[in-house]
Amino acid sequence: MSFHSRDSDISRLNREASMRVVTVDPLTFRVLETARALFELSGGLFDVTVAPGLQRLGLLPVDEPAPLPSPAPEANFAAAELLPDCAIRFHHPAIKIDLGGIAKGFAVDRAVEVLRNRSITGGVVNAGGDLFAFGTEGHPTHIRNPFSPLRTLCRLDLTNEALASSGSYNPPSKLPMAPSAILDPTSQLPARRICAASVRAPSCILADALTKVVVLAGEGAGPLLKQFNASALFVFATGDVLVTSDWKEALPHAA
Amino acid sequence: MTDWIRWAAPVAVVASVASPGYGYAAQYLTVQEAQKLAFPTANRFVEANVIFKPADAEAIEKLSGQRVRTRGEQVWKAQNGDRLLGFFILDYVIGKHLVIDYAIALEPDGKIKQVEILQYREPYGGEIRNPDWLAQFVGKSSKDELEVNKDIINISGATLSSRHVTQGIKRVLAFYEICLKENACGR
Repeated sequence: MSFHSRDSDISRLNREASMRVVTVDPLTFRVLETARALFELSGGLFDVTVAPGLQRLGLLPVDEPAPLPSPAPEANFAAAELLPDCAIRFHHPAIKIDLGGIAKGFAVDRAVEVLRNRSITGGVVNAGGDLFAFGTEGHPTHIRNPFSPLRTLCRLDLTNEALASSGSYNPPSKLPMAPSAILDPTSQLPARRICAASVRAPSCILADALTKVVVLAGEGAGPLLKQFNASALFVFATGDVLVTSDWKEALPHAA
Repeated sequence: MTDWIRWAAPVAVVASVASPGYGYAAQYLTVQEAQKLAFPTANRFVEANVIFKPADAEAIEKLSGQRVRTRGEQVWKAQNGDRLLGFFILDYVIGKHLVIDYAIALEPDGKIKQVEILQYREPYGGEIRNPDWLAQFVGKSSKDELEVNKDIINISGATLSSRHVTQGIKRVLAFYEICLKENACGR
């Protein structure tokens, strides 16, 4: 599912699916089906066709020597058709997809499935911050302060749930804060109002994808979170933090 | 109904420093900084984003002669209390391959107050950040020609960025006429 590998399903789709039907691996197709459901349920906020926008911002590599195609608002995920037998067709020449906002969560869920199938009763799979803690024991996790990388915002005890985080976190060696790689579909520019979000959800693929919706919609993501039995914390660029009420205990000085 | 709890800023907000810290993608101004520079007497910036209906985009294209490639525009109303001081519009154009983020501050009547480049990513063409070049746009409105080598000076070595930013500004001024003047756009 890598955008960077020439032989991956995603690269084949990006090169050929606007010209003909392309068949992909069943696992890739499952991720695309989830991406499709989230695209519809989030009113288009979660849209994996962000790849050209990310290329234009220098956040994804450009493969071809030719100039990038002009932005085309109608080249969104609604123009991607999912067909029987894991086949896909894009109905616009400018569509390019990147699964970077959802595939890591999916990989974590698959790894947990493998462990559970081997009768392992408890553990944690952590893919660089997108994680799933399964079993009866709570797994203590801290969420980093996006403005001050050596400090934490809160501590959670995760039990049989996933946690994912997205946004710009100030890496210790770099100032100023890098802009978020989460693009607002309307402006095609990085989200600026909310700089970081974390989501707890029953699966890591959902947690991963929902962080993007929370960064873009903020409080507006409430109904969607509730629909998926998920909850969230997010941080405004101004510094204020909003959490769903079930995170109250995790905050050190919450009233 | 989801209950949200607000926890007010215990985080230390590190002020953004304008320095090219990584590669070419230098971020010179944040949105907040650019807003304050453009409207120093404003105490509120109210989000007033516009999502285009197809007819809106067509009208803007017709008036400006420029293609509309986004689904809307990000707009803030700069206010002092309830008094409208002007509009702050965040827009972008492509230089050669990569995005140039810029902002236009408009007076309430649609004349340009200020243009600021927020982020420039390409290795060449950054001379458009020169305040003297940007000052050419002050006072312009949709009645002006806004064409490089006509009423806007080209910068040798920055031809594409000069031309594209000028075209973007022309499109945003048309957006003001069609959408902001009468508040007539969107759903």
